[in-house]
Amino acid sequence: MQIRNTLPQLRNYNISPRLLFAAGLVALFVAIPLGYIFFRAVTGGEEVWLRLLQTRIWKLLGNTLLLAVTVTGGATLVGVTMSFLTERTDLPGRNIFRWMLAMPLAIPAYIGGIVHLTLLRPRGGLIPQLLASWFGQPVPTPSPLGFGGAAFILTLFMFPYVYLLSGAAFRSLNASLEEASRTFGRSNWQTLWEVTLPALRPGITAGALLVALDVLAEYGTVALLRYETFSSAIFVQLAGRYDRSAAAVLSGVLIVLAVIILWGEIRLQGQARFTQMDSQWRPAPTLPLKKWKVPAFLLVSLVVFSSLLVPVIVLAVWSVQALLDPAALASIMRSGSQTFGNYVWNSLWASGLAAVLAVLLSLPVALLSVRYPNKLTQAISRFCQVGYAIPGVVIALSLVLLVNRYLPFLYATPLIVVMAYVLRHMPQAVRASESALNQLSPSMEEASRTLGRTSIQTIFQVILPLIVPGLLAGAGLVFLTSLKELPATLLLRPAGFDTLAVRVWIWASEGFYIQAAPAALLLVVASAAPLYFLLRREQIFR
Amino acid sequence: MQHVSKKMFGVLFVLALLVSACGGGTAVPLGNVPATEAGVPVENEAGVSGDLVIYSGRSESLIQPVLDAFQAKYPNVKILLKSGSNSELANALIEEQANPQADVFVTTEIFTIQSLYQQGLFASYRPVGADLLPAEFIGPDDSWVGLTRRARVIMYNTELVSADEAPQSIFDLTDPKWQGQIAAAGSTNGGMQAQIAAMRQLLGDVDTQEWLVGLMANDVTFFGGHTDVRKAVGAGEFKLGLVNHYYYYLQLAEGSPVGIIFPDQGEGQIGLISNATSAAIVKGGKNVTAAQAFLDFLISEEGQKLFAEGNYEYPMLPGVALREGVEPLENFRLADVNVAEAALDLNGTLDLMEAIGLP
Repeated sequence: MQIRNTLPQLRNYNISPRLLFAAGLVALFVAIPLGYIFFRAVTGGEEVWLRLLQTRIWKLLGNTLLLAVTVTGGATLVGVTMSFLTERTDLPGRNIFRWMLAMPLAIPAYIGGIVHLTLLRPRGGLIPQLLASWFGQPVPTPSPLGFGGAAFILTLFMFPYVYLLSGAAFRSLNASLEEASRTFGRSNWQTLWEVTLPALRPGITAGALLVALDVLAEYGTVALLRYETFSSAIFVQLAGRYDRSAAAVLSGVLIVLAVIILWGEIRLQGQARFTQMDSQWRPAPTLPLKKWKVPAFLLVSLVVFSSLLVPVIVLAVWSVQALLDPAALASIMRSGSQTFGNYVWNSLWASGLAAVLAVLLSLPVALLSVRYPNKLTQAISRFCQVGYAIPGVVIALSLVLLVNRYLPFLYATPLIVVMAYVLRHMPQAVRASESALNQLSPSMEEASRTLGRTSIQTIFQVILPLIVPGLLAGAGLVFLTSLKELPATLLLRPAGFDTLAVRVWIWASEGFYIQAAPAALLLVVASAAPLYFLLRREQIFR
Repeated sequence: MQHVSKKMFGVLFVLALLVSACGGGTAVPLGNVPATEAGVPVENEAGVSGDLVIYSGRSESLIQPVLDAFQAKYPNVKILLKSGSNSELANALIEEQANPQADVFVTTEIFTIQSLYQQGLFASYRPVGADLLPAEFIGPDDSWVGLTRRARVIMYNTELVSADEAPQSIFDLTDPKWQGQIAAAGSTNGGMQAQIAAMRQLLGDVDTQEWLVGLMANDVTFFGGHTDVRKAVGAGEFKLGLVNHYYYYLQLAEGSPVGIIFPDQGEGQIGLISNATSAAIVKGGKNVTAAQAFLDFLISEEGQKLFAEGNYEYPMLPGVALREGVEPLENFRLADVNVAEAALDLNGTLDLMEAIGLP
């Protein structure tokens, strides 16, 4: 991060107008959904605003905020606890736990929700039924439906964001920081609260931010567990009514909410900067858990069990059942003229293409903001990251109308789905490209230019080859999240273009969980593979 | 429909071919069939090919066998299916009006299709054999055609509820003695939406709202679809379920202890609420020939048999046998609902559900 400040000499080169133009075009592309929703919300008509203001908005706002706050708090608590236990203590099996705690990222929350719903549903769930047959009478069990259930499920499948980012922070923490605290007479606990956790704050807030924005954008899980938030209400307005103004108005409110969160993050990050001197860096020592060893082990096991093992095992069992049942198998294999192979292929190529496009589009933006940092280029970069704030359903809404009206040849082609993925997941590509460029010393470029290469030649012959691994990481992230994407795909897919995520959703929403399982399992496996390589490459786990 | 084996399709298919071959000579007076179709025998599939885009609000497992049979008959057609909720697909159709993508829209009730007709989304086409259907199930200007009828019934778990005990009216479902024991489909389900629309027309908003509020006060569990409901009642999680009639038969076929009540048959009661699945050809669709062939097929004896046999529905075409064991609709007094009128106020129905917060 600090490298950027050592770059002023680069400002001697003028910003390439071509680069600025390209980055500007990308920003314009990203601006489309925002501009559209703003336009529609404003011109939505007084009547729609009044109707929504009188009843819906306040309830939805309350619901959404309550869920976002609860899940962010829960995910932060679980994530930080887990990273503390696996990074800083002598927890048995922590090397394996590190992987198992990160892997729920490969499981879309709605799939986890389907599994837990089947297990825990009041009366009908497998666990309540089992308990009832053991004790001869119904035993009250917590319901996965409604607010409690949604908060539980989302926390379970979103904590890995916080876990990964705070884990990285734990690992990079210098031993001397805590040693100094103890030298001044602080106890271990005091050190943890007063020194260690504040030092981790940037990592934790970054993770919490991702969780909060994800909750705002979440559709599948809340719809499944019947807890209404802005995102699900927008979907209902879109699907149930023949008037899209209400959906636009709700989207506008949601965007404002997300921008507030983004702004809050920037403020928080700005206040917390910790500089570490690399030359003296030593890893912090491992704390012995002693009598807490068993409880800590059980706690971590419980989290791993419910967020990873239960979903994967249940999906695997269902998949076997589905494969053994000829009727179920037949319905899995075909819908219309599409086969299971089509769904897999559609998922893979659409997500793959989105990953490539997102990275390519992120390049000019990242080059500009890293090499020519000023207010304008920073603004363009930030702007391209607002996609985090726009849920898939809103992006779909904007594309449906715009493309249908102005680019009808694109409408009802798979490309519009890819376009939605790119818009939605651009931020991951931009952040990855920026971080890859940040790690590249500008002296390489200077040397290239001194040797007479033009700036374009420098980009293609020097910069790109060196940052390809970093770009691949960004592409991997976009691929992973596109694979799981649900609401935009549901709304935009042309007939005969179903993805694994869509199939899981259609089957599960009709109650055919067995049929949904193979697709869900495959989706998890296909997401786990790139995730595994990403975590290895980033040296998050050694 | 999953339990219907491939073999059975084969048998049905052969049967249907025989039937249509025998019936080939008896020309049915064809109304305003387009000239290109009129002279061509029904069995000639040569001209039908290309992509056929179907938007379907029907449960996929219930329409797939019909698609398969159509495909077998017209091997040159490639079927592209988009499944979703009725309203979701209706919205897509409206959005695509200037740039139509679908050839055929299939839905589980009449309200959506009637409302889309009013917005001018459908092409007029009178399918071969349409004259044999009840006139009330042909859309105005031949804009849509009814496929099958479904009745709204109460199913119960016979191990938990005796036949005498079971409620005989949908209004009994608000009786506190069933508190927490009832499952139904929620506000996003076409069958439920249609029932509420019908009740609004029969009883007015106030009474309908009272009934819905009563259901919610009775802790009725609302699922996204009826498959969950029938499975839950079959497994004994709930004593009662409010479903379409065939869900009872599907569950019975799985060996569950379930019974069925065709409600509100008594003196002064509203009668059995029923609805019809329907299909229409989208105006401006790219493959009109295949779309017309598909509609013909849906209401042909072969297509109707598939709906009846595979899904226990009431075929629209008279004379097609019900699946064994299915109680004929004629045995019941039906609720007096003017579908076309009820459809005029789809938004009112949605508003009502939204206002009381039906899940």
